[in-house]
Amino acid sequence: MTTGLVTPGDVIGKATEFKAGKGAYVNDATIYASLTGTCRIVSPLPESIDQRAIVEVTGHKAHGPIPETGSVVIARVTKVMTKMAAVDILCVGSKAVRENFAGVIRQQDVRATEIDKVDMHQSFHAGDIVRAMVLSLGDARAYYLSTAKNELGVVSAESAAGETMVPISWTEMQCPLSGQTEQRKVAKVGN
Amino acid sequence: MEYVNPEGLRLDGRRFNEMRQIVAEVGVVSKADGSAVFEMGNTKVIAAVYGPREIQNKSQQKKNDHAVVLCEYSMAQFSTGDRRRQKFDRRSTELSLVIRQTMEACILTELMPHSQIDIFLQVLQADGGTRSACINAATLALADAGIPMRDLAVSCSAGYLNSTPLLDLNYVEDSAGGADVTVGILPKLDKVSLLQMDAKLPMETFETVFALASEGCKAIAERIREVLQENTKQLEYRRAA
Repeated sequence: MTTGLVTPGDVIGKATEFKAGKGAYVNDATIYASLTGTCRIVSPLPESIDQRAIVEVTGHKAHGPIPETGSVVIARVTKVMTKMAAVDILCVGSKAVRENFAGVIRQQDVRATEIDKVDMHQSFHAGDIVRAMVLSLGDARAYYLSTAKNELGVVSAESAAGETMVPISWTEMQCPLSGQTEQRKVAKVGN
Repeated sequence: MEYVNPEGLRLDGRRFNEMRQIVAEVGVVSKADGSAVFEMGNTKVIAAVYGPREIQNKSQQKKNDHAVVLCEYSMAQFSTGDRRRQKFDRRSTELSLVIRQTMEACILTELMPHSQIDIFLQVLQADGGTRSACINAATLALADAGIPMRDLAVSCSAGYLNSTPLLDLNYVEDSAGGADVTVGILPKLDKVSLLQMDAKLPMETFETVFALASEGCKAIAERIREVLQENTKQLEYRRAA
């Protein structure tokens, strides 16, 4: 058992005494570090069945985030089609990705109710910023995203006049300049 | 020509088991996610790592539960004694593949599904042992990028001249026509990740040369660990200030 600075491959404990946490992995009953950084021991939660302490390595620099199943992402709509909308994933959680990942919101994943009546062009427009959840890693082309929750959907959109619109209901946004309302799948923000 | 004199000294004054001077530096390319410069004597290599990022060539994604590791090796035109003309040749392709396989074995690719890790290696100055220097530079750059790895993949070469095993050949020794053994290992896991040899050696002699190269690999691993830990301390010091 070692603490302090470790580099990849350093032995940091036995698998019978500790559980491997972030930045560590198990190989043949030994726990090794997989990152360069500081090794720490974290006490297990009182209610967990496995009472072994968790050993983890905090890297001095983490690589860019990758979308995972179940994570909430911020994305920009790039193209709206009849049955799906193509998006670029910009943030995973609160971290920006260095380079975009491609995602897709399918018609059946836009909202939880009246799935068969969803009109993609009344839910998203190109350029909208949406909050979505990663459903799965998808096919070879893109991640599958879903906005079928109240907190998910369009969080920022521009009107034809070029102004950022204000959400006024869960299906409508209004331009503060011209008063024009547009249809969107609006996310419930904040309070 | 005599490569080892009767006192056991080589042309550059080293003994049979001495390495050339190693200089390593991380974080040299600001645009890259991780980068490093690695020097072994007069051989100098710069490595840059980008990623994990989205896979650009979708057809490469046959097994999409692992990250794809891509590697591009090239030598600068000014890196050798005679100016090089060809940008890519058969040797560069072979080395790119070899280095890619070596790094694939040490990166925990299953932690980054649906993504791609690009490693770019450029030889700035070549004086023998370039592929070993490239692997060491790539390992440093990957660790600098924070990509999880099983171990540091380190590499070293050894040869056999004048009936003597020699560690870390330079260009003159490499061109002498004797055997050149390149070994890559994961030192803490004690596994071989790369083994290449040209020319011929008897089996017993090969074992001796292989053991010598492995010792060199472990020495390089210690040096790389020191560089990474020093870099981490520097970052923490800067962060605390």
